[in-house]
Amino acid sequence: MPNIGEFAAWLVGLIAGAMEDSSMRLGPVSTIALLLVPLVLLSLVARPRARWAGRDLGRLAAVGHAMARAAESGTTAIVSLGSAGITRATGALDRLQTVAALPILAHVARAAARAGVPLRVITNDPIAALLAEGVLIDAHRRTNTPERAVNSSVEFVGEGRPVAGASAMALPGDHGVAVVAGGLAEEGMLVLGGLLAPSSWGIGGTAAMSQAVGPLLEADGVMIGPELFQAPADLAGSHDARLAVHAANRLLWTAIAVILIASLAVAAGAPDPAGFLTSR
Amino acid sequence: MRRSLTAGLALATGTILLLDLLILNPSLELLAGGLVELLILLAAAAAVGGAATLGAHHLRDLARGGPDRWGAVTLVGGMGLILVAGLRPGSTGSSDPAVNWLVSALLVPIASSLFALVFLFLLGAVRRGLSIGTREATVTVAAAGVMVVLLLPIGGAPGAGLATAAAWVRDVPLAAVFRGLLIGIAILVSVSAARILLGVGSADD
Repeated sequence: MPNIGEFAAWLVGLIAGAMEDSSMRLGPVSTIALLLVPLVLLSLVARPRARWAGRDLGRLAAVGHAMARAAESGTTAIVSLGSAGITRATGALDRLQTVAALPILAHVARAAARAGVPLRVITNDPIAALLAEGVLIDAHRRTNTPERAVNSSVEFVGEGRPVAGASAMALPGDHGVAVVAGGLAEEGMLVLGGLLAPSSWGIGGTAAMSQAVGPLLEADGVMIGPELFQAPADLAGSHDARLAVHAANRLLWTAIAVILIASLAVAAGAPDPAGFLTSR
Repeated sequence: MRRSLTAGLALATGTILLLDLLILNPSLELLAGGLVELLILLAAAAAVGGAATLGAHHLRDLARGGPDRWGAVTLVGGMGLILVAGLRPGSTGSSDPAVNWLVSALLVPIASSLFALVFLFLLGAVRRGLSIGTREATVTVAAAGVMVVLLLPIGGAPGAGLATAAAWVRDVPLAAVFRGLLIGIAILVSVSAARILLGVGSADD
């Protein structure tokens, strides 16, 4: 079995060899233009509303207005974090959807706290319930409404996807605002129908492509596929967003610089980088 | 400071597990194994804690005479039934025949009947989507209508043409949309994971 040093030397040699055997297909200007495409793409997906967001994903900007109407009509708000959970036996992509739904919950919770609308959060995962509890506490702290915290609650409805569907169907349908965001599976239509159909206004979001039809039909605001992950970035403050974008940009510029410098060095007849880097 | 600590812990844990995946090293394997055991312990503790919370919540509802009394009675009764069947003296636990019977005769049929409602809920969703009148819902219903026509069980040359068209729709535009969405999801999952590891959260709006 080769040791790590030999493996690194082989890897560097492989890359250097590949560079030596390569030539540009399109010329320097076109090549640089093409290299800029991923840079712009990454900036686009990582950067929030400041410059790139062209529309209101999932109609999240309308949550405040919907909460105000709920407050006027004396109704409540409900949020489901989907049925994937965080510690449940499911795929990593499903779990990340629950994590992505937490900033959306925070946004909804702040709007509910400001409007004085009682908010109920349901989930079928105890750890997700714990995190949601923290999100609600933080929402009341940020909006300086601790006296309203007693009206907000997080409920663990039990383990399993059927339980998530059944509990959504069994809840009384007097919600002014309903939000379903997170991983869904075969029970998705039950969760969406149970919560969104009887509500006055609702948002549905999932990255589970098999369940994309549900939010499209049931919800006023829709987040499908990548939008569920993009929406939290849109909600982020400018400072934090810039941090992520700058980090990503630096990574890309470093990669581009390494590629260009190594290519120029090889083209100028410099010694084999693999030998130089591994002192051989 | 607290966020830096949790982000650091998450980063260190992820790095150790990743290195263990890539490098064969006994010490690293031991460390990664210990971390995985801790995660399993955490998941088990969460499950037990969640069940206890659920029971306590509904028992409190019963004691207060809340509006969902019958739901609480059903849930607490069901929990008690399974616990008695699995923990009574002489029981073999989760593989006990009584537990197996409760699962196969009660839980599975109940779950199946729930999923049988999906079709009815889909019809309800179509009605609601059309009543809301959003562009997305209208396009979805129209596309579903086209697909229903293409999949009609018609024989002969017209039927073959419809089947060919249906197969083309499935293999070309539908597959393109799905793959595009999956690529977008993969990119944004990576970005989201990086944001979590960097400790970049959303601020107050």
